[in-house]
Amino acid sequence: MIAAQAAIPMTVVGGFLGAGKTTFLNRLISEAEGRYAVLVNDFGAINVDANLIAHHDGTTIALTNGCVCCSVGGGFIEALGGLLDAGGKFDHIIVEASGVGDPWRIAEIALVEPMLRLNATIVLVDAARIEMLLADPQVGATVRSQFERCDVVLLNKIDLIDRLSLERARDVVEQVCSNACVIETSQASMPNLASLHQRPARSPFYAQPCAVDSADHEITFRRWSYQRDGQFDRSRLALALAALPPELLRLKGACRLAGEANSALLQMAGRAWSLTDAGSEESSGIALVGIGTTSLPDRLELDDILDHALA
Amino acid sequence: MAVGSYEEICADAGAIEVDRRFADKILLPGFVEGHSHIMEGIVWTMPYVGAGDRRSPEGLLVQGIRDVEGIIERLREAADKLSDPDTPLFAWGFDPLHIGGQQLTRWHLDQVSTTRPIMVIHASFHISNVNTLILDRAGLLGPIDISGVVVDEDGRPTGELQGIAARFRVFRMLGGNPLSANLTTDDVNRYAASACIQGVTTITDLHSDLPDNTVDLYRAAAERDDFPIRLVPALASASHSPDDGIAKIERLKQENRPKLHFGIVKLVIDGSIQGFTARVRWPGYHNGASNGLWYVAPEELPRIVERYHRAGIQLHIHTNGDEATELALDAIEAAQTAMPRPDHRHTLQHCQMADAALFRRMRALGVCVNLFANHVYYWGDSHYEQTMGPERAHRLNATGTAQRIGVPYAIHSDAPVTPLGPLFTAWCAVNRVSSGGRVLGRETEALTVAQALAGVTIGAAYTLKLDHVVGSIEVGKFADFAVLEEDPFEVVPEGLKDIPVWGTVVGGHVHKAPGE
Repeated sequence: MIAAQAAIPMTVVGGFLGAGKTTFLNRLISEAEGRYAVLVNDFGAINVDANLIAHHDGTTIALTNGCVCCSVGGGFIEALGGLLDAGGKFDHIIVEASGVGDPWRIAEIALVEPMLRLNATIVLVDAARIEMLLADPQVGATVRSQFERCDVVLLNKIDLIDRLSLERARDVVEQVCSNACVIETSQASMPNLASLHQRPARSPFYAQPCAVDSADHEITFRRWSYQRDGQFDRSRLALALAALPPELLRLKGACRLAGEANSALLQMAGRAWSLTDAGSEESSGIALVGIGTTSLPDRLELDDILDHALA
Repeated sequence: MAVGSYEEICADAGAIEVDRRFADKILLPGFVEGHSHIMEGIVWTMPYVGAGDRRSPEGLLVQGIRDVEGIIERLREAADKLSDPDTPLFAWGFDPLHIGGQQLTRWHLDQVSTTRPIMVIHASFHISNVNTLILDRAGLLGPIDISGVVVDEDGRPTGELQGIAARFRVFRMLGGNPLSANLTTDDVNRYAASACIQGVTTITDLHSDLPDNTVDLYRAAAERDDFPIRLVPALASASHSPDDGIAKIERLKQENRPKLHFGIVKLVIDGSIQGFTARVRWPGYHNGASNGLWYVAPEELPRIVERYHRAGIQLHIHTNGDEATELALDAIEAAQTAMPRPDHRHTLQHCQMADAALFRRMRALGVCVNLFANHVYYWGDSHYEQTMGPERAHRLNATGTAQRIGVPYAIHSDAPVTPLGPLFTAWCAVNRVSSGGRVLGRETEALTVAQALAGVTIGAAYTLKLDHVVGSIEVGKFADFAVLEEDPFEVVPEGLKDIPVWGTVVGGHVHKAPGE
């Protein structure tokens, strides 16, 4: 069993056809910090600078900056499995969800696979089209499901619409996913993973309470940490997690479980959560870190909910 | 092939030897299965636990099992044959809809073994049931809240797994998915044997990425005289951009030979009706389930269709629900308007819910259809009660409408989803009766025996653009025959499926079906 510390972070990039996924992926690849492995649906769309290509064998493009770009043509499960088999070759795995797929379904892989941990689900939304797409009888439900449960929405192509339309787009997005961090972007101003990491304001996962760069919108996050010397009871923990308020966006960390030798890695995103074997007996007790919206209830209230799960 | 009486054929032939071995048999054109998958040759490495009877590639009758106790018993027998105690046991073919909704839980599978990993793959291939050991080893024993890990009312995982996250984790833990391993010569031979047993001489593999390994195996098999089928693989659109797909088809067509025919592309638009993933029009699913899934973005479809259409490549488009069918026809209409192409023969596959108006559009656009006649038998009751409701269940797979309106049609099995067997498929289209005994739309949609047999011979050959070489007994065509013990025009229509198949003739080579 792989120790949780060694798990490779995975980021899922989703969004409907035409939302700008490929532009964003190109940005992530060309401005990579570390060795990224990127799984894409269609090679043809990825526009990698020819000078950057070290090797191209039809299903994989190896880049001079240490990143690789793989086509999922032969099957997504096989392609992702192949990356994990390559061991610690990669610092980060980025997966492009299909234009009609639900990125959350892919993100869940990182919750159950011990070799992975979920970094973020990022969904791009075409600000000019989102209101129309959500109302479309053919694709409305598909589009809605794509960003119902994501961490970051890149509200894209804002340079193509006026201020009023932008506000409307932002409203409909926030109606669908009130808890995600919404960042306004355009083709010329796409963030890369490093900027999402370094500027915590842009991402809930590294957040201290602070403001986003977006000039006229302020998004802040609250952090909560929970530490105990004891251990959880598995079934009471399930009840406790279900009782946590929706304002809590993410919860992650190590914990001990009654009657089990190894400590476990708890990951919770939205309402979904998983416990995987952390593979080590070293860590003692419980140490969890949570991130929530500004309306996250008081820490004592949250502590009390999890205390009910102690064995 | 020459056709005629002894005098007509042999008058000027000099000294010839007459082969009378089929004097007491019935020769039909070799059957053409227009929609099936090489998976039929792979699944038989595992025990079968479905409800209906099947024939194995060895020709043995494998009894269907209609209760959970029987499934446990068959799995125990299979486990006893495995020498290594840790080898995972896989089985296939289960569908709770076929055994009155009985569920197969991990507690059932634990009765087979608590120390050996056990997985039962559903007939749909999208769902599986595993024993407690697998859940435990995969870290899915819970409590857990991951979509696709089904839990009971007490929140305990039942062992039923759906969706990609659970599948990824479990197959990684087990060391791989036996159904997606590299294809082998044995798999291809089993597929050919299954075809021969049913009188099939031309058969599709209607959705393949066609990696080099598969192409090499198909090419080598097609060169063998003892290989009893003509293979028609369809390239999967999903795994290729249109440009790559077009280039690959052009390359593959260089490999074509009498028993291997590349050239068609498969495009999947929606899911399945019984899985509630087909895209259906108003009034939607009968039980109120939300509408299904698009596997291609509706606005992307016309672009894909037009690229292949312009390149002169025939498309086989999977549309189960009528909303998907309508979308496919819109895309073909746009492509035909942009670039009229006579005789394109783009074919809608399954096309189970189309109404008469959609069939009239097919006719106007020159579109063919391959209807899923076996569905009426296998899921007709589910469609009546749950998915489509009475009125639409009656017009499911509207073969009669296709016949009346004049849309070129075939009928198919989608093996291994339902059993390979054109005589059974023809029986379904003639009798239109469900496995529960319910007659569905017989008065309007049933075919005559002659029409149904055309649907599994020349009709299917037409949808594959192979009607000039197979599908009928004519001078100049391949000498491909289904060799039957009885005349389908003499038996009662209810007996069509029970006619014994002796074997086949392919290109003049005689192949006796393996069997008891």
